Amino acid sequence: MKIRFDSALRAFAGLVFFAPGIYAAQAPALPGEAIFVQNCAFCHGRDAGGGEEGPDLTRSKLVAEDVAGDKIGPVVLNGRQEKGMPRFKLADQEIKDIAAYIHAEKKLAESQKGGRRGVEVEDLQTGNVDAGKKYFNGAGKCSSCHSPEGDLAKVASRYKGLNLEQRLLYPRGSVASIVVTLPNGDKLTGKLAYKDEFNVGMRDTNGWYHSWPVNTVKFTIDAPADAHAELLAKYSDDDIHNLMAYLQTLQ
Amino acid sequence: MNPLKLTLLAVLASGLAGAQEYDPSWQLNPPTTSWPGYHGDYSGRRHSPLTQITPENVANLGLAWSFQTGESGQLKCSPLMVNGILYITMPDHVWALDARSGHQLWHYAYPKNSGFHIGHRGVSMYKEWLFYTTPDAHLICLNAKDGTVRWNVVIADSQKGYWMTMAPMVIHNHVIVGVSGDFDNLTGFLKAIDPETGKTQWRWDSTPPAGTPNATTGGMTWMTGTYDPDLNLLYWGTGNPTPVLNGKVRPGDDLYTCSIVALNPDTGKLQWAFQPSPHDTHDWDAVETTVLVDGPFGGAQRKMLMQTSRNGYFFVLDRTNGKSLLTVPYGPVNWATKVDGQGRPVSNPDKEPAPDGRLIAPDEGGLTNYRSPSFDPKTGLFIVDAHPSYGVYFAKPADGSFGWAGADYGVWGKGILEAIDYQTGKIRWTHELGPGGAGAGVLTTESGLLFTGDAMGNVLALDTKDGKTLWHSGTGVPMQSSPITYELDGHQHVVTSSGGVLFSWTLPDSLVAKR
Repeated sequence: MKIRFDSALRAFAGLVFFAPGIYAAQAPALPGEAIFVQNCAFCHGRDAGGGEEGPDLTRSKLVAEDVAGDKIGPVVLNGRQEKGMPRFKLADQEIKDIAAYIHAEKKLAESQKGGRRGVEVEDLQTGNVDAGKKYFNGAGKCSSCHSPEGDLAKVASRYKGLNLEQRLLYPRGSVASIVVTLPNGDKLTGKLAYKDEFNVGMRDTNGWYHSWPVNTVKFTIDAPADAHAELLAKYSDDDIHNLMAYLQTLQ
Repeated sequence: MNPLKLTLLAVLASGLAGAQEYDPSWQLNPPTTSWPGYHGDYSGRRHSPLTQITPENVANLGLAWSFQTGESGQLKCSPLMVNGILYITMPDHVWALDARSGHQLWHYAYPKNSGFHIGHRGVSMYKEWLFYTTPDAHLICLNAKDGTVRWNVVIADSQKGYWMTMAPMVIHNHVIVGVSGDFDNLTGFLKAIDPETGKTQWRWDSTPPAGTPNATTGGMTWMTGTYDPDLNLLYWGTGNPTPVLNGKVRPGDDLYTCSIVALNPDTGKLQWAFQPSPHDTHDWDAVETTVLVDGPFGGAQRKMLMQTSRNGYFFVLDRTNGKSLLTVPYGPVNWATKVDGQGRPVSNPDKEPAPDGRLIAPDEGGLTNYRSPSFDPKTGLFIVDAHPSYGVYFAKPADGSFGWAGADYGVWGKGILEAIDYQTGKIRWTHELGPGGAGAGVLTTESGLLFTGDAMGNVLALDTKDGKTLWHSGTGVPMQSSPITYELDGHQHVVTSSGGVLFSWTLPDSLVAKR
């Protein structure tokens, strides 16, 4: 029985995944397809539905708002270095072609009933609200930084599903604060802008950038997101699902 | 003494200055004036006997030259250096450079094609010919003198979803090539190609043909192996099974995916296999360099093979028979319940990808990836660019059983250099490399130095014994390749890359002359 089910599934999946791919003999290929496969498909999947590390572009908010590459283009040209996406040196027409291909794949993905990758909001409803609340206020110590009435008020209206879960696990792009004490005793307060083992850089409250060799100043960094990284080793999968259940009540 | 060693002695005795033809036996014990294979020598230790640059003088290291490819891609290759000429690659590109000045001798551009252009790891050489793999899975033989094409053969069908990035490996008269292809249910394989004619000499399949009931596909062979000339064994790591995240349709261990295999390089016959990740569902290819070390272990002298595997475990094997000597994690791992009697981690079924997600350490990129580690014989340290990390893995029946068959997302990670005592697995020292992860390879030298890069784009020279920084230079973006070193005109050079730029570092004349 199981074998028959698997075989059917394989045949079905084969159809789904081959149809949008480079093997579709019946439909003429879009010009952006070859460029997409060469440059983007390894990370974002050949059908733009997600691959190694790169997100599913067919569900991307940015893609949804894009018109003829006006939003996609800048991301392609500038990359997203903080997320590991390099810059791509492509011509205007190539970007338009890529955008057209992504939009076509998005349309195709949306027309399909199941049989595709991705995480739905309804997939992330297996937790227990009370257990999540207990973890939030207890073992997780979330309440030492966050409050459902304060920073997390209506959080579930701002972030949904996978996006909310990713923010919960680690809020990427959150900026640390820094206080720098100069040799003359003056203190500068601002946001951490750069740090390696040799130099430290910050943006002050007026928006100006400053940097120093690390051994010429004293500084303290406050990076609240580190607490999220420390929790990763402590969570059970149930803890995460329960926290999700609780956070999703904060509408 | 085996005949290859005699050949080597003959080569050395005849002097290399006049020799333009490359002999693969150079990799048995490469002249320090060359870097003739992907790993330098066949052992995969990425350790050089050169001692001109030392912990005491490395602070004076400066730029000899840099070379701009002019391409927006990243150099991910390990350069080859033979007879004063460097050969570097990107997908669709090969360059030959004068190692003295960095100026270009020739540039070969492969015609536009729709293969995956994800990275390229270098060329290999035999006599006066170079061997280059292409994004659409061809093997090209180029004349090393001028970059003209000698022959071009198809290794795999790129229309089925194969592509190639790897640096071929030359042993005897075999050019050994492997393939990539994770987005389709495809059989992984190795082929030995005749360097003279391009004809296939043998083929070894890592998995059964696609469509075999209840059997896995995958086991791609996308990194260069290592070789023991005395045992005449070729060691190769194989990639993850497919479908990637859905293990239900491929029950059991899924041999020979995520495996280290020992083959006879003349016949392709399997001698033994060890599987770091039985029944993988997290994309953890076991293709990381299989480092060959002879030395004491547990009181006895051993011929060993070591791997810091993408799945988070450090493995030491007896390379004569593939038996486990040591299995120990070298960072956070949470996917295995125990290590079995054969030294294999046993995967926890509760940590397979699920509809509501599973938090997994390490993430899909793994605790390390393809960039080379290094083994330093003097300290007994195995030094690796590690990536402590977490990812969240999803799979549900609707994701099917083809290709990726699920979705996963990196959550958090950082880069840290680790020096592992190979006899115990204990981490002797660590060196933080920055948020996200660094991804640079490691080179050690006999003078007690190591070269690598951090997550912010600094190239670093550290003291091998304690990991302290002795020199650095900002190169713009993080190094995505593994450093090499060689001697030229009495100067030791260290070659690194960053983005699309190649850098050659050396000491000033004044310091070299003093020696």
